[in-house]
Amino acid sequence: MRTYLFVACAIACLTTPVAAHHSFAAEFDITKPVTLTGKVTKIEWTNPHAYLFVDVTDAQTGAVTNWEIEMGSPNGLTRLGWTRNMVKAGDMVTIEGSLGRNKPTLANARSVVMTATGKKLGAASSEATQ
Amino acid sequence: MRSAIAGSLVVFAAVAAFAQTSRGTLAGTVRLRDAAVPAVTVEVKNTSTNAVLTATSDKSGRFKLTDLPEGVYEITVPPLGIAADRFDQKDVAIKAGQTTTLEITLKQGNLGVLGDDNGYIAIHNNSQDIRGPAPRTRDGHPDLSGVWNINVDPHPVPASLLPWAQGVMKERVETNFRDQPAGLCLPDDPTPTLPLLRKFVHTPKLLVQLFEQEPHYRQIFLDGREHPNDADPTWMGHSVGRWEKDTLIVDTAGFNDRSWVLFAEGLPHTDKLHMIERYRRPDLGHLLVDLTLDDSATFARPIERHMTWQLAPKDDVLESICTENNKYQRNAGIK
Repeated sequence: MRTYLFVACAIACLTTPVAAHHSFAAEFDITKPVTLTGKVTKIEWTNPHAYLFVDVTDAQTGAVTNWEIEMGSPNGLTRLGWTRNMVKAGDMVTIEGSLGRNKPTLANARSVVMTATGKKLGAASSEATQ
Repeated sequence: MRSAIAGSLVVFAAVAAFAQTSRGTLAGTVRLRDAAVPAVTVEVKNTSTNAVLTATSDKSGRFKLTDLPEGVYEITVPPLGIAADRFDQKDVAIKAGQTTTLEITLKQGNLGVLGDDNGYIAIHNNSQDIRGPAPRTRDGHPDLSGVWNINVDPHPVPASLLPWAQGVMKERVETNFRDQPAGLCLPDDPTPTLPLLRKFVHTPKLLVQLFEQEPHYRQIFLDGREHPNDADPTWMGHSVGRWEKDTLIVDTAGFNDRSWVLFAEGLPHTDKLHMIERYRRPDLGHLLVDLTLDDSATFARPIERHMTWQLAPKDDVLESICTENNKYQRNAGIK
């Protein structure tokens, strides 16, 4: 039950969803990109999706919101070079993704960057073939 | 001479040493994110003659086509699994005596969600340089065993649906395909078209396919049995196979009508669905898979898909228990 949206077209698919393994478009709104920086509080290394929970502090009010970030499956992440211990509670990360449709503090991750090192996670495997 | 085309493609043309020729050259590199992608087919179509030539990227992602007649071309790279969408570039000029260079950056598929491409390109890149003849089983037939990285049909012909099925598809599109069975951890698609890993365990009397989605296995009986009469309809149907020379022909019937067939399309069907798969292993590293779906109560004509799968000897299917932590219903707003 992973999220697979096969985009067989370029621009049209922004408005026309296509089926895949199950629907990304039913869960997330690609027209609402988000960038979140904060401290990891929990990791769920589970199927069908792994999740990061991240405390994000509002720069103006100081209010802290715990965001839930969906990624692929542990199997998929492993094949991209992740391990279950790569990100720990307390690590600072920056996430880019799309906003969830049905929970205001839910997003998915197109990229996860470790603040301390600048390392972009999940890109290692393909780039390692260079 | 230098020109730029909007998007991820930039065209550079340089005057070559042999300017007297009436032919030109196309060369470049195929990349995804920051990585070169080997073994990618680049299709080059002459817009005047409709002639199509192909090149394959090398280990460094480079490709080259020489001796092209001067003219205007369309460049296409078919999609790669879930990892990359189709790349199209029109109006690429090839000029006599010149080399036009295309730096092709593929667009990430599946909206680039981290991990959701299941490492397709990583597996693809790790599976190069596999050469040799196809192995054979004790009875002399090609042995289809192995872990296969499924790829999509590079040129699928759209399905032609009867009116009721068109109505179903309209509703599915309008609801963002929210109600796909996979969202509830049910089997989604009995066709072997989801571009992920699929492991074949092949004995002379039985072919077992293992995969990471529900129901995780499929049996294809090679012992001469026929489909049972009046069996309960099932998600995956009942499969029997027979050899026609070096081609394994698998016949599957007895489906229920609950699955959504064909990856990326999510088509409805009835319990009259009949699936034929033809498997050929021309060499060690490739499996050619031709698929025919027939359901005269749903499709105006049979649907065909033609795929080339790649052996992935460094990878394996892994455990994946969908119900472990499935939040799809909440995330998709299903009450």
